Amino acid sequence: MDTKLKHFPPKWADRFLEFYCAESKLEQIQGDAYEIFYLNLEERGLAYARFRFWIHVFSFFRWSNIKRTKTKYYHSNSTAMFKNYLKIGWRNLLKQKATTFISVFGLASAVGCCLVAYLFIANIWFKGMLQPNKNEIYQLTYTIDEEEGKVTYGTVAEPIAELLSNEFTQIKSQSRVKQGLPILIYQTESFYQRVNYVDPGFMDMFVYRMEYGYPQALTEPDQVILTFELSEKLFGDTHPVGQEISLVTDGEEKRYKVGGVMKKLNDMEIFNFDLLVNLESIELEKPQVSLKQSWDAEQWTFVQLEKGVNPAELQAGLASIKKRQNEINSENPYLSLDLIAYTDLVYQIGKIENGVRNFLGLGPQILLGAIGLFILILAVFNYINISILMASKRLKEIGVRKVIGSRRGQLIAQFLSENLIVCFFALFIGCLLAVFILLPGFNQVASKSLKLDLLHDPYIWMFLIGLMGFITLVSGLYPAVFVSGFKPVTILNGNQKLGSKSFMTSVLLTFQFTLAIISIVAGIAFLQTNYLNENRDWGYDNSDKIIVNVPDTKAYFTLKDQISAIASVKEVSGSENFIGNGAEEKEVTYQDQKYEVDYLEAEANYAEVLELRLISGRFLDSNLISDQTQSILVNERFMTDLGLSFPVEESIVLDSVNYQIVGVVKDFHMTFFQRPIVPMVIRSGSDSIYNYLTLQMSPGTALSAMDLVKKTWREAIPAGLFEGKLQADVFEREYSDVRGIQHIIIFAAVLAVILAAMGLFGLVSLNMNSRIKDFCVRKVFGAGTSDLTKKLFKRYLISWGIASILGGGLAFVIVTQFLDSFFAFHAGVGFIPIATGLMVLLLVIGLTVSSQIWKVVKANPANILKAE
Amino acid sequence: MKGYHLGELEELVLLTVGILDQEAYGVSVLEEIKNQTGRKVNISAIHTVLNRLEEKGFLDSQMGGATEERGGRRKRLFRISASGRSAITEIRTLRNKLYDQIPPLALDFSHGY
Repeated sequence: MDTKLKHFPPKWADRFLEFYCAESKLEQIQGDAYEIFYLNLEERGLAYARFRFWIHVFSFFRWSNIKRTKTKYYHSNSTAMFKNYLKIGWRNLLKQKATTFISVFGLASAVGCCLVAYLFIANIWFKGMLQPNKNEIYQLTYTIDEEEGKVTYGTVAEPIAELLSNEFTQIKSQSRVKQGLPILIYQTESFYQRVNYVDPGFMDMFVYRMEYGYPQALTEPDQVILTFELSEKLFGDTHPVGQEISLVTDGEEKRYKVGGVMKKLNDMEIFNFDLLVNLESIELEKPQVSLKQSWDAEQWTFVQLEKGVNPAELQAGLASIKKRQNEINSENPYLSLDLIAYTDLVYQIGKIENGVRNFLGLGPQILLGAIGLFILILAVFNYINISILMASKRLKEIGVRKVIGSRRGQLIAQFLSENLIVCFFALFIGCLLAVFILLPGFNQVASKSLKLDLLHDPYIWMFLIGLMGFITLVSGLYPAVFVSGFKPVTILNGNQKLGSKSFMTSVLLTFQFTLAIISIVAGIAFLQTNYLNENRDWGYDNSDKIIVNVPDTKAYFTLKDQISAIASVKEVSGSENFIGNGAEEKEVTYQDQKYEVDYLEAEANYAEVLELRLISGRFLDSNLISDQTQSILVNERFMTDLGLSFPVEESIVLDSVNYQIVGVVKDFHMTFFQRPIVPMVIRSGSDSIYNYLTLQMSPGTALSAMDLVKKTWREAIPAGLFEGKLQADVFEREYSDVRGIQHIIIFAAVLAVILAAMGLFGLVSLNMNSRIKDFCVRKVFGAGTSDLTKKLFKRYLISWGIASILGGGLAFVIVTQFLDSFFAFHAGVGFIPIATGLMVLLLVIGLTVSSQIWKVVKANPANILKAE
Repeated sequence: MKGYHLGELEELVLLTVGILDQEAYGVSVLEEIKNQTGRKVNISAIHTVLNRLEEKGFLDSQMGGATEERGGRRKRLFRISASGRSAITEIRTLRNKLYDQIPPLALDFSHGY
């Protein structure tokens, strides 16, 4: 026995055995192994025994003896558990139809709004990102040193495109892209249409699904590819392929055949065009130009690299092209010639001059995003409040589950899975809502063509799934954690107080009220501003005036004479631009001080024809030669900004010529109310040919004379595009934009109020259900309606009060900022919008709570108290 | 009757457990087999077979009988169960039946010349 105790089996083998061996078998196996070890020790000595022990440890290393995770031993029943969760969740939802409706409706409308906002924002950020080759496409840009510093241009010299294919083998396809706005003539109709002149490689690089014809149609220089929208506009139902159209650029007409029609683009492409034309077709016409000139002409150049080619590999080649460019064009040497990834173009907005994308329009994005977020928060809070109260009816279930052995995590999982059902429905209904109601409405007011494209857009799926996860977690986590935290003893004892008086509920409610107030105030303030702006004095008499364009300078005088001959035309005046269309900016010098001013060049009688209001001095006189060379008319703002008073002795320097101010007119709106009124100079130029003619008509004849004017115009300029309009309509586009925004904001405000009201309704009615006995007992003891009302109202009134202060203040700040960003002229957030907002909300609260009080008033206490 | 499916070693171990009566565990089965048949079997194979037989219901087991050699660990003592006993009986009768059917050795040299 002594020898035995001196020696032990090898330690490492023993540890290894303990490490791998299953708990249930370890004792038996280890015991036997030890026993054999000592047997061997006695018979054959230590070394042999140790060796055998190792052998045994390894031989026991078998699948059946190895430790494994529990799942192998315990049958998993989690599918059954989840099925059970879903079933119970489903039953609970059906049991509470009204509150389920509130939750689902609220979340669904939030999903709808978010979806529209997302599509709008994604449309801007992901424009063109559905192109399958997007990761291989690059645009060439160059950087040069200018006065302001380094400037990057999106266009490059024309011959570079040709050099590219000689220089590089890694380029799969390439295309120059040039934009144009020629007049398209089909039969007797003519339109301005946006054209992209491209190389045939364009159709290899960018993939467009075709409605008719083939993308290769563009390899023929006399064929064009139309967008579906244009094809529909031109040809209606007739088959478009093979139809003939012509394009007029700079007065030269060229005939084309339609080679194909794309499927609807839905505004998802990075380029804005109505038709694609082969670039060669306009080059063939061009006379041979000198080398230098051809290097001066610039356009966008896109290349598609072979798969897997790193753009850095092209650096050396680009540098050599840059060198050649700089040899020919040495005044403006390129600092560098770069490739910008197609997918990065959107982030380069503002950094690249003449880029493909130059406008991001953050304002509307923020507005829509904010609306989506507002509605989402309102709906989620509704849901949180309601689900906490709903859980109060299930306290017993929670208690029992806990007693049986549910862990807290499991209860949370249960509540979240119920939540998932609601969210799934909300998402589904929200999508339907978006597709059938919100998107068409939004597209109409915003003149967009957004579409929910589940088949071709992978991003939308990410968004929807992300949204669902987000809503589920945000709306479900708090109630689930809150409810699952109770002690089963207190629940089953009946001592658990819950919900109605919870602090969190009040906070959420107050927050909802605040949001509702902000949205009402925004809506009303916007409405008020619009009303004021639509009735705002434009600073001149805008009635009885017609503006026509003069695209053909040769026909200017004929047109002017013929139009003057129309009986109802009182006077005609030419101008470079017209009031309402924006003005040129110029710099004037007065007493060595420089000022930025708006500048309009027009015939001497323009101010009179427009009926601008003279404050002092006189209008320009066409009979005075001096008025054409040294007199200007300015607006009031000019005088105040420069600190002048009429008459002004000193002269104003404009284009290094001295001018005398002969008259001051009242401020007028040269541009829409989005822009403030700036100092303005009107000069009668020495030129006698202008871009526009303004016709002063006899009172009340403007509208009826329009047809006659158009006819006269057509006779004078047969190939042009008539763009005549009433002076009173010059802001029509801006007005419709603003009206669109107004619709959206009011819609959002109404929805916000409805959601807040519904949430409140759910809250009050659930509260009432649990406290109706309390009220009935009070009633029996003689409490009057006013007492009950006071008792019930108090809480909500406090919430309203806090929300009023918070919401009023926030609304003032936010909405003022919002209006400032939209208008230079607005009504501001005054007493009316805020007061109306508060009152509307109070009214809604009053109605909602009263409807529940009515229930108590009508209730017969005997019936209710008897019930238990 | 579907019959009992027992491998050769399984049958051997089952019989040995029967012989050892109350004292059957890994090492004793190993020793007994060695003494009775002269066959050396690996201890881990014995364990596997014992466990398998227990799963099949031919053996029962309980823990007990710690000794110093085992480092104070208990043995898993196996006992032949009722169905185990009927299994060996069944196998035995089957063997005997088959054996009895072998014709007596006839020296008729029909297979050779």
